[in-house]
Amino acid sequence: MKNIKFWYGIAGLLFIIGIAVSVWMLQKPDSSTVVILQDGKVLYQLCPEDYKEPEMIEIGYGSGKNTILIEDGKICISHADCPDQTCVKMGYLQSSSLPIVCLPHHLVIQYGSSHAQTLDGMAG
Amino acid sequence: MIKRMSVILFCLCLCLCGCGRQEDENPEPDEVSREVFAMNTYITMTAYGTGKDSVLASAEKRIRELESLWSVTDEKSEIYQLNHNGGSPFTVSEPTSELIQFALSMAEKTEGALEPTIYPVLAAWGFTTDTHRVPEQKEISRLLENVDYKRVRAQNREILLPDGMQMDMGAVAKGFTGDLVAEIMKENKVDSAIISLGGNIQTVGTKPDGSLWRIGVQSPRGEDNFAVLEVAECAVVTSGGYQNYFEGEDGTVYHHILDPQTGESARNGLLSVTVVGKEGKVCDALSTALFVMGEEKAVRYWQENSGFDLILYTDEDKIIITEGLEDKFNLIGEYGNLPVTVQRR
Repeated sequence: MKNIKFWYGIAGLLFIIGIAVSVWMLQKPDSSTVVILQDGKVLYQLCPEDYKEPEMIEIGYGSGKNTILIEDGKICISHADCPDQTCVKMGYLQSSSLPIVCLPHHLVIQYGSSHAQTLDGMAG
Repeated sequence: MIKRMSVILFCLCLCLCGCGRQEDENPEPDEVSREVFAMNTYITMTAYGTGKDSVLASAEKRIRELESLWSVTDEKSEIYQLNHNGGSPFTVSEPTSELIQFALSMAEKTEGALEPTIYPVLAAWGFTTDTHRVPEQKEISRLLENVDYKRVRAQNREILLPDGMQMDMGAVAKGFTGDLVAEIMKENKVDSAIISLGGNIQTVGTKPDGSLWRIGVQSPRGEDNFAVLEVAECAVVTSGGYQNYFEGEDGTVYHHILDPQTGESARNGLLSVTVVGKEGKVCDALSTALFVMGEEKAVRYWQENSGFDLILYTDEDKIIITEGLEDKFNLIGEYGNLPVTVQRR
């Protein structure tokens, strides 16, 4: 009798663990891989959430330069020596439909294709 | 007993296996995309269907050709040469002629709210070179003397631009290009594609599964979207002062959409204007012109003309949409409580 209870206990425990793991798997967002491209060529592919400490990446273009900052699981262009500063003003990458773009330096930071995409485009 | 337990465990395993994701049950058809830096903007094109990469390559080639014709800074471009032709007639190519005639016709229709000859004033503000400055009133007045689309003569492919005047197709070129790219797609049997020319959206057909494209409309108050539009086979173009601006020494914010009457940033109560319609070039031209007009005149223009719909975002954070968008428009996120008025004819 004790033996039966033991096996029922194990089965129940496995069932609860299984349900918990399944719920966690279903709720976990798609990988937030970020791709950094220049002239369409992939320079970096990274997951900002993996960075425990803030990190900076410098990317040159001719005589120009962009500094990319990864901190607190987010990514942005913190400095650019182009005159318009549009990419810096854009702040952190937020949406798969709105990449961070530095036009003068042909630099794009965008989510990878595995990122959950709820929009197909952005007018603005 | 062991047998009973084995059956129970086996059933549990089956249950848990069923909880797994089934992402590839309905795989997307082949998706090809291409990114292009051209026309001083970032262009992305995505098409669906096997072997469509060559179509995107053709589209990119066309974009580069048009850029080389219409650049206002490239000395070899037709627009540059027209601007520096000393007031003599200048013969342009067919696409340039079409573009100029279209811009002039939209200037006429909008009674000069769209002004293709405003370029010298825009340049004086430094918006064309990102060297922003606030010109003196005297300088603006002097430059405005050479701003008047009515003085441009266009007959067939011959354009006569009076000496001292300059044209810039910036307010229509991206929309015009979007139309041409969509045309290339359709000629090559692409039934489903989306093109973004620096935020000018052009859709071809529906999404590959037949559903509508979901287009975010950028908030003029931030980098996020305030609304989502669900559309098919159309263009969506937004103009707003937030897209290119600078702060003067006195703290005043100056933006790039100039009122041709004053030569200064248009301040007529709107933060952004989104135009939805079949033709990208019309949407592009109207998004600028209606921004200049302001709410009242923009709504009146819509009532008197057909073929497009509007989303107006006012400086009091009120939204006005026209009736054609009623079932396609939804506010999202923190903007969900903004007051929305539906304008009817």
